[in-house]
Amino acid sequence: MSDSLVNILDGNTFVVSDNRGDIEATPTDTTGLFSFDTRFLSKWVLTIDGKRLNPLSVDDLQYFETRFFLVPGTGTIYVNATLSVIRQRAVGRGFHEELTILNHDDKPVDINVRIDAGSDFADIFEIKDAKGKKGKYYHRIDKDQLLLGYERETFRRETAISSTAPAQLDEDGLSFSLHIEPHSEWTTDLDVVTALLGGGERHDRPKYGRERTKAMPDMQKSLEKWLDDAPSLVTDWESLKGTYRRSLIDLAALRFAPPVAGGASLPAAGLPWFMTMFGRDSILTSLQALPFAPELAATTIRALGAWQGSRVDDFREEDPGRILHEMRYGETAGFEEQPHSPYFGNADATPLFVVLLDEYERWSGDTKLAREYELQARAALAWIDEYADLQGNGYISYKRRNEENGLENQCWKDSWDSISYRDGRLSGYPLATCELQGYAYDAKVRGARLARTVWKDPEYAETLEKQAADLKRRFNRDFWVADDQYFALALDNDGSSQVDALSSNVGHLLWSGIVDKSKAKAVVRHLMGPRLFSGWGVRTLAEGEGRFNPIGYHTGAVWPFDNSFIAWGLRRYGFKAEAARIAAGILDAADFFSGRLPEAFAGYERTYTMYPVEYPTACSPQAWSTGTPLLLLRTMLGLEPMGEHLVVDPALPTAIGHLAMLDIPGRWGTIDAFGRGRVIVDTKTRLRPQLTEGATGR
Amino acid sequence: MTDETSEFFDRISQPMPRPSMGGVTATLRIDLDRGKATEHWLVTINKGNISVSNKNVKADAVMHTDKELFDRLARGEANAMASVLRGLVAIEGDQKLLIIFQRLFPGPPKARAAQSTMTQGARPA
Repeated sequence: MSDSLVNILDGNTFVVSDNRGDIEATPTDTTGLFSFDTRFLSKWVLTIDGKRLNPLSVDDLQYFETRFFLVPGTGTIYVNATLSVIRQRAVGRGFHEELTILNHDDKPVDINVRIDAGSDFADIFEIKDAKGKKGKYYHRIDKDQLLLGYERETFRRETAISSTAPAQLDEDGLSFSLHIEPHSEWTTDLDVVTALLGGGERHDRPKYGRERTKAMPDMQKSLEKWLDDAPSLVTDWESLKGTYRRSLIDLAALRFAPPVAGGASLPAAGLPWFMTMFGRDSILTSLQALPFAPELAATTIRALGAWQGSRVDDFREEDPGRILHEMRYGETAGFEEQPHSPYFGNADATPLFVVLLDEYERWSGDTKLAREYELQARAALAWIDEYADLQGNGYISYKRRNEENGLENQCWKDSWDSISYRDGRLSGYPLATCELQGYAYDAKVRGARLARTVWKDPEYAETLEKQAADLKRRFNRDFWVADDQYFALALDNDGSSQVDALSSNVGHLLWSGIVDKSKAKAVVRHLMGPRLFSGWGVRTLAEGEGRFNPIGYHTGAVWPFDNSFIAWGLRRYGFKAEAARIAAGILDAADFFSGRLPEAFAGYERTYTMYPVEYPTACSPQAWSTGTPLLLLRTMLGLEPMGEHLVVDPALPTAIGHLAMLDIPGRWGTIDAFGRGRVIVDTKTRLRPQLTEGATGR
Repeated sequence: MTDETSEFFDRISQPMPRPSMGGVTATLRIDLDRGKATEHWLVTINKGNISVSNKNVKADAVMHTDKELFDRLARGEANAMASVLRGLVAIEGDQKLLIIFQRLFPGPPKARAAQSTMTQGARPA
């Protein structure tokens, strides 16, 4: 997204405009007011006496609120205006805009103010393809508001536009003929309200009058409370404080309250194009944020549990027990032109659902929720054995059943070229990637713990434990690349050939605990070795592999979220110093991005570029990148629930003098954790100014 | 003529384990337009057990559509959530109930045939 564009959002409603606050979208352009995956405004252009305005400045007040300072255009490069214009806009159910015009002159002024408004009601999936719409548009002046509408059979979406100051409405916008006295101002409140309608006469008409007050919710208060509720961080590493605060604010912006959750929120995947529920992203982000905002995990469990698959549907790739991949609310989902109602095509969210339920219970002590979701967890565990073993060899594998618009790769590395052999050959389908087996193992082990301690079913616990032990034994035999001492990326479609490229996936295996203790050291040597570790973090694919490319999305780039789980895995196997090195590298990188880690950055050697080169992506912030600093704080402090207690076992990079997390919530009430920097990480390249400087003073 | 809707309600009132219902206790009324008349079905979910009557009484959620579409949902030929997004089905009250209830509809007939050929592993107790 270009730098000149301005984003604000609330849940899945967001506005993308230029730096004047104007929206002038073309069919392929991404500006507009969006809600529930539909563009409700594609035109919103302010003019005074027919002329566009010039921007003086933009204040991003909050993630949901922006203020634009503008002056009328003079036609020359000099701005010597006697009028100024302020547009202050907040997103809610649509948006609310306070438009103020100030006359600085000592003479009165007569002007015509005009807002051109229009909507193409494009579905989010249509925007990049610019497909023609199948339905009909309508406009209507309805008392004191302008209604823009779109109708296709029973599908209807409307945008209602109104102003508190009297306006002349026509089908293309609003006009104001104004007389402003010297040194005076004129102001109006504009409301743009979105509505999802359908079903003709059976439905209530939208009550815009009542909704109007909802166009601007009390969001400032809710953000303050969110920040207050999170543990506080005390440290002498200034940039980490900034990164932590940025993460919390971005996580707040990424909260999405799905209609099933009764007002509670879960993390959506990314802003702005992925502001919806994603199985994998919502679960992994909830795991990262557990010590800081445990309620996200609870909502994720409830929402994904409510949507759990119950039947076999090839278009949506649904199976009984399967956890959804992505939910969408737009026209293409409704007319089944896209399968997202919801779409289930992933192979990892189902075991990860059980992992999250267990981890959440261990932290929060909320056994009630773990009991309430017993049947869903059992159904998820049953899915692993009954529906996911497509190769018939006791491993999770995937092959899409929706050949038209289903996903080919149903693991987190979902691009077409992500799973390859050393020589660069791509694998076939069904495909069993290694990390899926780790997740399945962890789900069974954790399911067994829940069965024994919460569901009181020791027999089931024993069955799961046996299955887990068997899976671990087979996995360490079948995936182990003996000549080079690491685990293969996948087993190919014959169910036995090792897809043998070295990848970051081996780090996820440590996180899941499926790696034999005797093999862990060799795996860690690879993770921290020069082929995988760039100095900033672990690359998705090792240097030297056939498809390695430092700017390949899943074939060489460094993904912060990937690294946070690898660091967790290193801690799990006792490699504290290595986990600290990864934390140091990724958190250093965060400082280059003002605390907001991108989805991925290039896998160049750190000494080569000196700064992390951002991978160009459309979404920022991305949920699991936002969660990364949080999980790294957990791994650096070595936080681990143990019964009713929280164990703290810090391993911090040197030159973080001290670090404290205060009021970490959990089953223990709240607890404080402290640590001092002891682990020596690479400072000789002088690439860590904020740390080396600190280090010399000590 | 078989009435798919009645058969569907008969089927879901049979006692059987329903992971999809979890521990839910709630009522859902389904209003089905048939010409000028409206059929009412009251689904009472009590900790996952389902009973059905034709009472037209207040419920935690109300689903409103026409009989013909409901027959297709009951046969697995139409998808409930896509129908909601398209405006063919209206919901009032607790939306979560409809999301839980729609899981009782079967999948498309073709996919069901494929499923029956799959080996069924051991289901946990």
